[in-house]
Amino acid sequence: MDVKLINPFIDAFMTIMPQVGFQNIARGKVSLKEKAVDSLGVTVLVGLTKEIRGNVAYNISDETARFIASTMMCGMPVAAFDEMAQSAISELSNMLTANAATNLTALGIEVDISTPSLTIGDGFTVKISDAQYVAIEMTADGHTVEINIALK
Amino acid sequence: MEKIRVLVVDDSRMSHAMMDGIISRTDFEICDYAKTSAEAIEKYKIMNPDVVTMDMNLPDADGLECSQRILELNPHAKIVMVSAMRDACLMTQGRAIGISAFVQKPLKENELIDTLRMVCQSTEDNLKILEESYVKTFIKVLQKNLFSLAGVHSDMSYEISTEGKLEIDGIAIIIGFTGKPIGRAIVHTDFDTMNQFARAILGKDTDEILSDEEANECMEETANIVAGRSVSMINDIFKDKELRITPPGIIVGKKLSIVNPKLITFNIVATTKLGDLKMNIGFAGGE
Repeated sequence: MDVKLINPFIDAFMTIMPQVGFQNIARGKVSLKEKAVDSLGVTVLVGLTKEIRGNVAYNISDETARFIASTMMCGMPVAAFDEMAQSAISELSNMLTANAATNLTALGIEVDISTPSLTIGDGFTVKISDAQYVAIEMTADGHTVEINIALK
Repeated sequence: MEKIRVLVVDDSRMSHAMMDGIISRTDFEICDYAKTSAEAIEKYKIMNPDVVTMDMNLPDADGLECSQRILELNPHAKIVMVSAMRDACLMTQGRAIGISAFVQKPLKENELIDTLRMVCQSTEDNLKILEESYVKTFIKVLQKNLFSLAGVHSDMSYEISTEGKLEIDGIAIIIGFTGKPIGRAIVHTDFDTMNQFARAILGKDTDEILSDEEANECMEETANIVAGRSVSMINDIFKDKELRITPPGIIVGKKLSIVNPKLITFNIVATTKLGDLKMNIGFAGGE
């Protein structure tokens, strides 16, 4: 997978997270992976198509999902990852991927994105590619969001 | 033509006058005003309006709380939030509780009317279009390909899903689509049925070894073929849809839920002698 396709996703995270209420955004390690993604509890899949095709899977723990949803909803307490919190996380995944798509367009690569599918459960896997894919760890106010990207 | 009835919830007289000025020239009509949250809930019950415009600040509650109460009365209530503030986190909260759209004060005539019109597009008409143009195509293609791939006859049934989530215990193949409309298809089944289908597709007897990987790949390929052919067929009939599919994502696990509360979804079941193969198709905002 071409490394220049990764930056649009990192930039999207850097741009969008402050807009939804986060202060400290940082980039952690980037790695190449092959096997299916082990979900941390909440994984949102968004598909991409047109000039390049693939999937991005945002992978977070239940606790991080609640923390992000709460921050996005003006600090509203989120004790359980309920429908309102699920809606906020779906919306965020959509915003991040749409922004990444705009960044890709700026590089001359047109992409369209599908609707996000949010999966919740314990010990499940998400396969996004037959080949290698890139996993980026990003943090927002100390909480980790793993972004798995498979594009070709 | 019958006018579309609007309940205006706002405590300011000036807003009432402005709203009246804009709406009276269109195919909408104001059926009543409410100045407080309590009054809004009472009047919603009595008037049963087609759509509500909701101010963010009311004397006895905020617009979100009031909307939440109305949505408890009618989960399909159409509410447009009107607010001077364009606050991202309030909008996230609003969408999460089920508010359909947001417009900013001061009101611009075109923006308000376009938003009301978009929100009021008949859900029933929309469902009919989705059912006839898309869902029935997917059903036909699924049935035909289960026969050509696995050699099985299937009895097909489908219904509009009322659940916001899909329960998975086994495998789910998610294939997104872009174009008009955007959405996704999820082919899912339990492990037993998956293995039976894989054996039928690969022509393997029960005494031959079938790896999990082989079984998963059979499901993935089946889903990919069904989604791809359905989308080509739809594109051939309707020239302006430009539907494309994304590569499949494969979810494997037990007791999972897949959610997207904002989609209109249909559950399709193919009942076969090998077990039930299910497909859930979801569309964002209809057409």
